Amino acid sequence: MAEEQKQQSQGTGGSGAPPRREGGPSGPRREGGGHAGPRREGGPGGGPGGPRRGKRQYFRKKKVCKFCVEKIDFIDYKRTEYLVPYVQEKGKILPRRLTGTCSRHQRWLGVAIKRARNIALMPYATSAAGVLPVHRQGPAAGHAAAPAPATATPAPSPTSPAPGADVPAQPKPE
Amino acid sequence: MEERLYDLIFICRPATPEEEIKKIVATVEHACEDKDKGGKIEKIEQWGTRKLAYRVAKHREGYYVYVQIRTAHGELTHELERRLRVHDAVIKYITVRLDEDLQRQLKLTRRREKRVARKGRRQPAAAPAGGGEQTAAAS
Repeated sequence: MAEEQKQQSQGTGGSGAPPRREGGPSGPRREGGGHAGPRREGGPGGGPGGPRRGKRQYFRKKKVCKFCVEKIDFIDYKRTEYLVPYVQEKGKILPRRLTGTCSRHQRWLGVAIKRARNIALMPYATSAAGVLPVHRQGPAAGHAAAPAPATATPAPSPTSPAPGADVPAQPKPE
Repeated sequence: MEERLYDLIFICRPATPEEEIKKIVATVEHACEDKDKGGKIEKIEQWGTRKLAYRVAKHREGYYVYVQIRTAHGELTHELERRLRVHDAVIKYITVRLDEDLQRQLKLTRRREKRVARKGRRQPAAAPAGGGEQTAAAS
Protein backbone atom coordinates (compact mmCIF):
# COMPACT_ATOMS: atom_id res chain seq x y z
CA MET A 1 0.00 0.00 0.00
CA ALA A 2 2.67 2.45 0.97
CA GLU A 3 4.49 1.89 -2.26
CA GLU A 4 1.37 2.34 -4.28
CA GLN A 5 0.59 5.61 -2.63
CA LYS A 6 4.03 6.89 -3.36
CA GLN A 7 3.70 5.93 -6.94
CA GLN A 8 0.38 7.65 -7.17
CA SER A 9 1.70 10.87 -5.79
CA GLN A 10 4.52 10.75 -8.26
CA GLY A 11 2.16 10.05 -11.10
CA THR A 12 -0.33 12.79 -10.41
CA GLY A 13 2.03 15.49 -9.28
CA GLY A 14 5.02 14.75 -11.41
CA SER A 15 5.90 14.03 -14.96
CA GLY A 16 4.45 10.55 -15.49
CA ALA A 17 0.78 10.92 -16.24
CA PRO A 18 0.05 14.19 -18.07
CA PRO A 19 2.35 13.74 -21.04
CA ARG A 20 0.85 10.38 -21.67
CA ARG A 21 -2.63 11.67 -22.00
CA GLU A 22 -1.59 14.47 -24.27
CA GLY A 23 0.45 12.15 -26.35
CA GLY A 24 -2.64 10.38 -27.53
CA PRO A 25 -3.27 6.73 -28.03
CA SER A 26 0.01 5.93 -29.63
CA GLY A 27 2.11 6.90 -26.66
CA PRO A 28 0.77 4.63 -24.03
CA ARG A 29 0.63 1.75 -26.40
CA ARG A 30 4.27 1.96 -27.17
CA GLU A 31 5.20 2.32 -23.57
CA GLY A 32 2.97 -0.39 -22.42
CA GLY A 33 4.06 -2.76 -25.09
CA GLY A 34 7.74 -2.04 -24.77
CA HIS A 35 8.38 -2.16 -21.08
CA ALA A 36 6.49 -3.60 -18.25
CA GLY A 37 8.18 -1.29 -15.77
CA PRO A 38 6.93 2.20 -16.70
CA ARG A 39 3.47 0.98 -17.30
CA ARG A 40 3.21 -0.31 -13.81
CA GLU A 41 4.44 2.92 -12.35
CA GLY A 42 2.04 5.13 -14.21
CA GLY A 43 -0.88 2.77 -13.95
CA PRO A 44 -2.55 3.63 -10.68
CA GLY A 45 -2.11 7.38 -10.87
CA GLY A 46 -2.37 8.39 -14.48
CA GLY A 47 -4.24 5.59 -16.13
CA PRO A 48 -7.80 6.06 -14.91
CA GLY A 49 -7.41 9.83 -15.06
CA GLY A 50 -9.96 10.21 -12.31
CA PRO A 51 -9.49 11.34 -8.74
CA ARG A 52 -6.41 10.55 -6.77
CA ARG A 53 -8.16 7.86 -4.83
CA GLY A 54 -6.07 4.75 -4.45
CA LYS A 55 -7.27 1.83 -6.47
CA ARG A 56 -6.02 -1.16 -4.72
CA GLN A 57 -4.73 -3.50 -7.29
CA TYR A 58 -4.32 -6.82 -5.67
CA PHE A 59 -5.22 -10.14 -7.05
CA ARG A 60 -8.09 -11.80 -5.39
CA LYS A 61 -8.43 -15.45 -5.92
CA LYS A 62 -11.87 -16.07 -7.21
CA LYS A 63 -13.86 -18.02 -4.68
CA VAL A 64 -15.86 -20.93 -5.88
CA CYS A 65 -18.76 -22.55 -4.17
CA LYS A 66 -17.48 -25.83 -2.82
CA PHE A 67 -20.90 -27.43 -2.94
CA CYS A 68 -21.26 -26.54 -6.61
CA VAL A 69 -17.86 -27.97 -7.41
CA GLU A 70 -18.63 -31.21 -5.66
CA LYS A 71 -22.17 -31.20 -7.05
CA ILE A 72 -23.92 -31.58 -3.74
CA ASP A 73 -27.67 -31.22 -4.05
CA PHE A 74 -28.51 -31.83 -0.46
CA ILE A 75 -26.71 -30.68 2.65
CA ASP A 76 -27.28 -33.08 5.47
CA TYR A 77 -27.58 -31.49 8.88
CA LYS A 78 -26.44 -34.69 10.55
CA ARG A 79 -22.99 -34.59 9.02
CA THR A 80 -21.40 -31.80 10.93
CA GLU A 81 -18.04 -32.28 9.28
CA TYR A 82 -19.51 -30.60 6.21
CA LEU A 83 -20.95 -27.74 8.21
CA VAL A 84 -18.07 -26.92 10.52
CA PRO A 85 -15.96 -25.07 7.91
CA TYR A 86 -18.80 -22.61 7.38
CA VAL A 87 -19.15 -21.64 10.99
CA GLN A 88 -17.04 -19.43 13.18
CA GLU A 89 -15.45 -20.83 16.26
CA LYS A 90 -18.19 -19.28 18.30
CA GLY A 91 -20.85 -20.89 16.19
CA LYS A 92 -21.81 -18.00 13.96
CA ILE A 93 -22.58 -18.82 10.37
CA LEU A 94 -19.95 -17.34 8.08
CA PRO A 95 -21.18 -14.91 5.44
CA ARG A 96 -21.16 -15.78 1.81
CA ARG A 97 -18.64 -13.13 0.96
CA LEU A 98 -16.03 -14.90 3.04
CA THR A 99 -16.69 -18.47 2.06
CA GLY A 100 -17.60 -17.97 -1.58
CA THR A 101 -20.64 -20.19 -1.33
CA CYS A 102 -23.30 -19.56 -3.93
CA SER A 103 -26.59 -18.16 -2.76
CA ARG A 104 -28.55 -21.33 -3.20
CA HIS A 105 -26.12 -23.43 -1.25
CA GLN A 106 -25.74 -20.80 1.41
CA ARG A 107 -29.46 -20.95 1.92
CA TRP A 108 -29.39 -24.70 2.33
CA LEU A 109 -26.36 -24.45 4.51
CA GLY A 110 -28.11 -22.05 6.82
CA VAL A 111 -31.03 -24.40 7.19
CA ALA A 112 -28.74 -27.35 7.83
CA ILE A 113 -26.72 -25.51 10.43
CA LYS A 114 -29.82 -24.38 12.22
CA ARG A 115 -31.17 -27.89 12.29
CA ALA A 116 -27.88 -29.19 13.62
CA ARG A 117 -27.95 -26.54 16.30
CA ASN A 118 -31.36 -27.62 17.39
CA ILE A 119 -30.18 -31.10 18.28
CA ALA A 120 -26.94 -29.97 19.90
CA LEU A 121 -24.69 -31.11 17.09
CA MET A 122 -23.53 -27.52 16.54
CA PRO A 123 -23.25 -24.67 19.01
CA TYR A 124 -25.66 -21.78 18.98
CA ALA A 125 -23.38 -19.07 20.28
CA THR A 126 -20.64 -19.83 22.73
CA SER A 127 -17.44 -18.06 23.55
CA ALA A 128 -14.42 -19.04 21.50
CA ALA A 129 -12.91 -20.99 24.36
CA GLY A 130 -15.84 -23.34 24.46
CA VAL A 131 -18.85 -23.79 26.63
CA LEU A 132 -17.04 -23.55 29.93
CA PRO A 133 -16.77 -19.79 30.47
CA VAL A 134 -20.47 -19.33 30.05
CA HIS A 135 -21.01 -21.90 32.70
CA ARG A 136 -18.50 -20.44 35.12
CA GLN A 137 -19.50 -16.81 34.85
CA GLY A 138 -22.97 -15.80 35.76
CA PRO A 139 -25.51 -13.97 33.63
CA ALA A 140 -23.85 -10.69 34.61
CA ALA A 141 -20.72 -11.72 32.77
CA GLY A 142 -22.79 -12.52 29.74
CA HIS A 143 -24.10 -8.98 29.73
CA ALA A 144 -20.59 -7.65 30.04
CA ALA A 145 -19.47 -9.61 27.03
CA ALA A 146 -22.35 -8.43 24.92
CA PRO A 147 -21.42 -4.73 24.54
CA ALA A 148 -17.94 -5.59 23.29
CA PRO A 149 -18.43 -8.23 20.66
CA ALA A 150 -15.72 -6.89 18.40
CA THR A 151 -13.00 -8.27 20.60
CA ALA A 152 -13.88 -11.83 21.21
CA THR A 153 -10.81 -12.71 23.22
CA PRO A 154 -11.33 -13.23 26.91
CA ALA A 155 -8.64 -10.70 27.78
CA PRO A 156 -10.61 -7.50 27.12
CA SER A 157 -13.44 -8.42 29.43
CA PRO A 158 -11.59 -7.30 32.57
CA THR A 159 -10.54 -4.09 30.85
CA SER A 160 -13.96 -3.32 29.47
CA PRO A 161 -15.49 -2.27 32.80
CA ALA A 162 -13.21 0.76 32.85
CA PRO A 163 -14.76 2.49 29.82
CA GLY A 164 -18.16 1.13 30.62
CA ALA A 165 -18.42 2.93 33.93
CA ASP A 166 -22.18 2.88 33.81
CA VAL A 167 -22.18 -0.71 35.02
CA PRO A 168 -20.60 -0.70 38.48
CA ALA A 169 -21.74 -4.22 39.26
CA GLN A 170 -19.24 -5.79 36.90
CA PRO A 171 -16.04 -5.55 38.94
CA LYS A 172 -17.63 -7.10 41.99
CA PRO A 173 -18.05 -10.65 40.71
CA GLU A 174 -14.57 -10.61 39.32
CA MET B 1 -51.98 -40.18 1.06
CA GLU B 2 -48.50 -39.78 0.07
CA GLU B 3 -45.81 -41.07 2.29
CA ARG B 4 -43.39 -38.82 4.03
CA LEU B 5 -39.96 -39.38 5.40
CA TYR B 6 -39.05 -38.17 8.84
CA ASP B 7 -35.87 -38.06 10.83
CA LEU B 8 -36.22 -38.53 14.52
CA ILE B 9 -33.22 -37.94 16.72
CA PHE B 10 -33.33 -38.09 20.45
CA ILE B 11 -30.69 -37.64 23.09
CA CYS B 12 -30.65 -39.62 26.30
CA ARG B 13 -28.78 -38.83 29.44
CA PRO B 14 -25.25 -40.23 29.26
CA ALA B 15 -25.74 -42.29 32.40
CA THR B 16 -28.75 -44.10 31.04
CA PRO B 17 -28.31 -47.89 31.19
CA GLU B 18 -28.51 -49.71 27.90
CA GLU B 19 -31.65 -51.53 28.82
CA GLU B 20 -33.40 -48.24 29.31
CA ILE B 21 -32.34 -47.09 25.88
CA LYS B 22 -33.49 -50.36 24.40
CA LYS B 23 -36.79 -49.83 26.09
CA ILE B 24 -37.18 -46.38 24.59
CA VAL B 25 -36.31 -47.67 21.15
CA ALA B 26 -38.85 -50.40 21.66
CA THR B 27 -41.55 -47.88 22.47
CA VAL B 28 -40.70 -45.97 19.34
CA GLU B 29 -40.91 -49.14 17.31
CA HIS B 30 -44.13 -50.06 18.98
CA ALA B 31 -45.68 -46.71 18.15
CA CYS B 32 -44.68 -47.17 14.52
CA GLU B 33 -46.31 -50.54 14.34
CA ASP B 34 -49.72 -49.09 15.01
CA LYS B 35 -52.11 -50.07 12.27
CA ASP B 36 -54.05 -46.86 11.89
CA LYS B 37 -51.35 -44.29 12.37
CA GLY B 38 -48.32 -46.42 11.89
CA GLY B 39 -45.30 -46.15 9.71
CA LYS B 40 -42.25 -47.99 8.57
CA ILE B 41 -38.92 -47.67 10.30
CA GLU B 42 -36.28 -47.34 7.63
CA LYS B 43 -33.26 -47.02 9.84
CA ILE B 44 -32.28 -47.10 13.44
CA GLU B 45 -28.79 -45.96 14.33
CA GLN B 46 -27.31 -45.58 17.75
CA TRP B 47 -24.63 -42.99 17.53
CA GLY B 48 -23.56 -43.60 21.08
CA THR B 49 -22.33 -41.04 23.56
CA ARG B 50 -21.37 -37.80 21.91
CA LYS B 51 -20.31 -34.44 23.16
CA LEU B 52 -23.10 -31.93 23.07
CA ALA B 53 -22.41 -28.56 21.50
CA TYR B 54 -24.02 -26.88 24.45
CA ARG B 55 -25.36 -27.86 27.82
CA VAL B 56 -28.67 -29.63 27.77
CA ALA B 57 -30.33 -30.34 31.09
CA LYS B 58 -26.96 -29.83 32.79
CA HIS B 59 -25.31 -32.49 30.65
CA ARG B 60 -22.36 -32.01 28.37
CA GLU B 61 -22.67 -35.40 26.75
CA GLY B 62 -25.56 -37.36 25.48
CA TYR B 63 -26.44 -40.68 23.97
CA TYR B 64 -27.78 -40.11 20.47
CA VAL B 65 -30.28 -42.37 18.78
CA TYR B 66 -31.30 -41.75 15.21
CA VAL B 67 -34.46 -43.18 13.67
CA GLN B 68 -35.72 -42.71 10.15
CA ILE B 69 -39.42 -43.25 9.65
CA ARG B 70 -41.54 -43.37 6.55
CA THR B 71 -45.18 -42.76 7.19
CA ALA B 72 -48.28 -41.37 5.60
CA HIS B 73 -49.62 -40.13 8.91
CA GLY B 74 -48.17 -36.95 10.27
CA GLU B 75 -49.79 -37.59 13.62
CA LEU B 76 -47.32 -40.36 14.22
CA THR B 77 -44.60 -37.81 14.80
CA HIS B 78 -46.73 -36.07 17.39
CA GLU B 79 -47.31 -39.36 19.09
CA LEU B 80 -43.60 -40.20 19.10
CA GLU B 81 -42.67 -36.81 20.42
CA ARG B 82 -45.23 -37.13 23.15
CA ARG B 83 -43.79 -40.45 24.22
CA LEU B 84 -40.25 -39.14 24.21
CA ARG B 85 -41.27 -36.12 26.21
CA VAL B 86 -42.71 -38.33 28.88
CA HIS B 87 -39.48 -40.28 29.24
CA ASP B 88 -37.17 -38.97 31.90
CA ALA B 89 -34.05 -40.27 30.24
CA VAL B 90 -34.64 -38.33 27.02
CA ILE B 91 -33.31 -34.81 27.31
CA LYS B 92 -33.78 -33.64 23.74
CA TYR B 93 -35.44 -34.78 20.57
CA ILE B 94 -36.09 -33.45 17.11
CA THR B 95 -38.21 -34.49 14.18
CA VAL B 96 -37.29 -33.27 10.72
CA ARG B 97 -39.24 -33.84 7.57
CA LEU B 98 -36.81 -34.97 4.96
CA ASP B 99 -38.73 -36.05 1.88
CA GLU B 100 -39.09 -32.58 0.40
CA ASP B 101 -35.37 -31.98 0.53
CA LEU B 102 -34.61 -35.39 -0.86
CA GLN B 103 -37.06 -34.88 -3.67
CA ARG B 104 -35.44 -31.61 -4.54
CA GLN B 105 -32.11 -33.33 -4.53
CA LEU B 106 -33.40 -35.99 -6.89
CA LYS B 107 -34.79 -33.39 -9.21
CA LEU B 108 -31.57 -31.45 -9.34
CA THR B 109 -29.44 -34.51 -9.91
CA ARG B 110 -31.70 -35.59 -12.73
CA ARG B 111 -31.55 -32.20 -14.29
CA ARG B 112 -27.80 -32.23 -14.04
CA GLU B 113 -27.59 -35.61 -15.70
CA LYS B 114 -29.84 -34.37 -18.48
CA ARG B 115 -27.65 -31.37 -18.98
CA VAL B 116 -24.53 -33.48 -19.15
CA ALA B 117 -26.16 -35.80 -21.63
CA ARG B 118 -27.26 -32.87 -23.77
CA LYS B 119 -23.77 -31.44 -23.80
CA GLY B 120 -22.41 -34.79 -24.84
CA ARG B 121 -24.76 -34.96 -27.80
CA ARG B 122 -24.19 -31.32 -28.74
CA GLN B 123 -27.64 -30.81 -30.04
CA PRO B 124 -29.62 -27.58 -30.13
CA ALA B 125 -31.13 -26.88 -26.78
CA ALA B 126 -34.78 -26.73 -27.83
CA ALA B 127 -35.84 -30.39 -27.82
CA PRO B 128 -33.97 -31.57 -24.69
CA ALA B 129 -35.09 -28.52 -22.74
CA GLY B 130 -38.71 -29.52 -23.20
CA GLY B 131 -37.92 -33.01 -22.04
CA GLY B 132 -36.14 -31.70 -18.98
CA GLU B 133 -39.14 -29.63 -17.95
CA GLN B 134 -41.41 -32.58 -18.28
CA THR B 135 -39.28 -34.75 -16.07
CA ALA B 136 -39.00 -31.97 -13.56
CA ALA B 137 -42.74 -31.62 -13.42
CA ALA B 138 -43.18 -35.35 -13.16
CA SER B 139 -40.76 -35.70 -10.30
